[in-house]
Amino acid sequence: MGMTTHGVSIQDEMASSVRSGRRSSRDGGQTSDSHAVVLKAEGVSKTFAGVTALRDVDFDLRSGEVHALMGENGAGKSTLMKILAGVHVDYDGEIRIEGAPVRFSGVQDAERAGVAIIHQELNLVPELTAAENIFLGREPLILGTLVDHRRIVKAASALLKRLGIEIDAQRRIAELRIGEQQLVEIAKALSLDARILIMDEPTSALSTAECETLFKVVRQLAQAGVAIIYTSHRLDEVVALADRVTVLRDGERVLTAPIEGLSQSAIISAMVGREVTLTRRDSVASSSAPVLSVRNLTLDKVSSRGWRRVLLGVSFDVRPGEILGIGGLLGSGRTEILESIFGVARGWRDGEIAIDGEPVSINSAADACRLRVALVTEDRKALGLHIASTIRDNVALPSVGAASRFGVRGFAREAELATDVIDKLAVRCYGIDQIVATLSGGNQQKVSIGKWLATGPRVLLLDEPTRGIDVGAKQEIYQLIFGLAAEGLAIVVVTSEMPELLLLSDRVLVMSEGRQAGILSGAEATQEAIMRLAAPGMSERVAP
Amino acid sequence: MIVLRLLSRTKLYWGLAIICLIGALASPHTSSGRNIFLSFNNLTDVLRQVSITGLVATGMTLVILLGGIDLSVGSVMGFSTIICAMLLTQPGWTPASIVAVPAAAIAAGLGVGFLARFVFHGLERGRDVDAGRRNETVLGPWRGVRIPALLGLVCGALAAVATASQVSTKFGVLAVLLVTPCVALALGAINGTLIVAGRLQPFIATLAMMVSALGLGRLTAGQDHAVIAVYTGTNATQAFEVLRSMVWGILPMPSVFFLAAILIFGAVLRFTTFGRYIYAIGGNPEAAKLSGIKVAQVQLAAYMISGLLAGVAGVLFVAQYRQGKPDAGSGLELDAIAAVVIGGTSLMGGRGGLAGTFVGVLIFGLLSDILQLQNIDSNVQLLMKGLIIVGTVLVQEQNLGQLLTRWRGQAPLPPPTRTGSVEAYRPSQVSMTSKTREDIHEAS
Repeated sequence: MGMTTHGVSIQDEMASSVRSGRRSSRDGGQTSDSHAVVLKAEGVSKTFAGVTALRDVDFDLRSGEVHALMGENGAGKSTLMKILAGVHVDYDGEIRIEGAPVRFSGVQDAERAGVAIIHQELNLVPELTAAENIFLGREPLILGTLVDHRRIVKAASALLKRLGIEIDAQRRIAELRIGEQQLVEIAKALSLDARILIMDEPTSALSTAECETLFKVVRQLAQAGVAIIYTSHRLDEVVALADRVTVLRDGERVLTAPIEGLSQSAIISAMVGREVTLTRRDSVASSSAPVLSVRNLTLDKVSSRGWRRVLLGVSFDVRPGEILGIGGLLGSGRTEILESIFGVARGWRDGEIAIDGEPVSINSAADACRLRVALVTEDRKALGLHIASTIRDNVALPSVGAASRFGVRGFAREAELATDVIDKLAVRCYGIDQIVATLSGGNQQKVSIGKWLATGPRVLLLDEPTRGIDVGAKQEIYQLIFGLAAEGLAIVVVTSEMPELLLLSDRVLVMSEGRQAGILSGAEATQEAIMRLAAPGMSERVAP
Repeated sequence: MIVLRLLSRTKLYWGLAIICLIGALASPHTSSGRNIFLSFNNLTDVLRQVSITGLVATGMTLVILLGGIDLSVGSVMGFSTIICAMLLTQPGWTPASIVAVPAAAIAAGLGVGFLARFVFHGLERGRDVDAGRRNETVLGPWRGVRIPALLGLVCGALAAVATASQVSTKFGVLAVLLVTPCVALALGAINGTLIVAGRLQPFIATLAMMVSALGLGRLTAGQDHAVIAVYTGTNATQAFEVLRSMVWGILPMPSVFFLAAILIFGAVLRFTTFGRYIYAIGGNPEAAKLSGIKVAQVQLAAYMISGLLAGVAGVLFVAQYRQGKPDAGSGLELDAIAAVVIGGTSLMGGRGGLAGTFVGVLIFGLLSDILQLQNIDSNVQLLMKGLIIVGTVLVQEQNLGQLLTRWRGQAPLPPPTRTGSVEAYRPSQVSMTSKTREDIHEAS
């Protein structure tokens, strides 16, 4: 994450237009008092079948503030947000909105009271336009029957413009980038007259530039008096954006404080309950021959507008025991590098890949497995794991063939592999027959890495290895990666998180718009150097 | 609690038990007071009647577990009955034998070739597996192919000669039993190729095959022969009777094929890598592909197996009903799908198994038997079938707790209390336990 400076570009006239637009009638000028408590929760508790998710949590939210809600996975953030947004209706405790006690009977009820939630997984219909999505379910009608498209577009455009979002309201959601979709979701919430906006991990899939736009909009909204509850796993953005922070741990509130005067490590230790130190390992100067050599890797993808070049001239070597980090903005071709090496990139690929100095052609994941190249995918639920099946089955899947003889499965061997993985990676579970869906995100990620370790890889490709997992689990994954490198694996890591990139990498390859912008050694790799190389337009545009 | 868990784990078999109970209680009795439903003859008859649907449903289970569907099995079976009946009754080069000889030759050649390569591959790798390590050397895709290819060619040629030599006379029982499924296998291979290489939706590819196999059957039979009658002993070999006989006086021959298929493919699903891959692909095709599974090969094989079993079912149909006709299997695909679904296999793929299919097939068979014993109209049977499908799937798919929660959810919630007292509303114990899983998942 390249980080924002505090308090950039607060656009007063836009903010006030948002305020005067549709909200003035309701709060009647009260917004000028930016410290009024709009939402107060007292003694909120919630149990799921005997498991306590929240215990006696107090929480208050002032108008015009960005209130960060922090905590590890399972700390109760989601539960609290869902209670506030009317998703969970059976809880103990009291919630007051502007002093009046409320008990929502559902999400619609909460929306009527001015509370809107934006879930991490966006709820937009990809095939409809932005405008249609904003007014989905409450379309203005002509003669009570026909949808008034012109009014939808006009109203949506006006709304987006007021928010300072530069999106054509008539574009289909599927054509928009994730960041833009996120903004459409915000516009939709505001069109519902939301005074309290709950945002669950809005930046987990955004690039740096998209985050900036999002932050700008969030700050504007706060200026306009909207109270915002914000969660994120990225500490730096919370520090930059939030006014106050509340930390939950094991369902209890451990801290509520203004963000000023709190260091990142103070927040982390509040979340984890112990001191956490990020230690970079001593770089291993390996002089042995590279395991993986990539030369002039090029990838063309077919899109609706014809061939599009997504990679051009990527060349690098990875030696045993080395961790090569790949940095760059989202869409700069980082994931495509890994997919191309692994033989699963869609499109037309060119260039040479050599394993142990021998040129190889990898055209499918099966080829890659045979050559002992492993790819841990970015989206573990969609691409990495069979979520409804057991740890044993997931770990054994790439090794089923190797553990078999004459096509008959070696059950003992499969169980052995799964047990090894659980032991080695310290997966917290009841046993190898636990269903993967019931594991926490961090442990799921361990299984997803473990299933490849069971194949005994020489080259390990990791795509966003810590996405969506909490601070404590991140540490464990880092230690694991360091340990694997020490065992002599050649590791390539793609990550969007700058601190992670700097922490893990022995060298950093920076991508910019499909081109290799440069390779920085450990000493050269600083946040500034990487951002400078990654910035679009610094290198020449990739020729079509 | 333990009782409940046991009940829900074995719920697959409860439907069967209930049907049996109803059958035994409602059954008419012979003059000597014996229960007809429970009589040996009646039960073996049921087994005989379900065998054809059962064979087809076995193949269908593999395809559905894979996340696909095979609508063509009925037509493919009908086509197979024509091939089988013509080969039995008409000597010389008829359309049936023209199709059958090359199909048998190709199937034998490829089958032996792949089997040999598979065995060589296994031998080559066995040592490494014993050592508990993965293969160090990289096996090129064409390494070790020459000997299997040669073997395949030889066997293919032998099969061609052997079947062609039968053409001048009428085919014997073993010959039709081997050759007819090869033709159906070829149709299944076309299905699979369309889906794998042509990237067609399984529904569409097999729908096309369903229509065209029916047409193909009619063309093969010729306009005048909508039905080809098979009279063993007069126009066909007497030996063909063996396919409708009782084995050791216990099991009807068709059910031997059915049970064998269930056992063989049950073992395949449970114990082989192929079976594991079917579940993996059905559960998450992308993840399976990225795990190095050759998705296309597995899919192709599953559709071929489905075709093969439809072919075997076709031969049994001819033996059973003494005729071959193009529309012999009309509606069969839907019966098979219904049996699979009743057995608890998810149409989304990745979940279920052959034990369920076996139960599903038996439930249908017993149901129509009971209704026949009561002399109930066959249209009522259709209605009952529909109700059974809905009923069992409702019970299979959602556990009782979920149903209860839904009812509770529809009950009006208490109005929001002004005081917001802690005791204002406490959910019942039932709803808490039943919502556990999804909620904990959400919370994490």
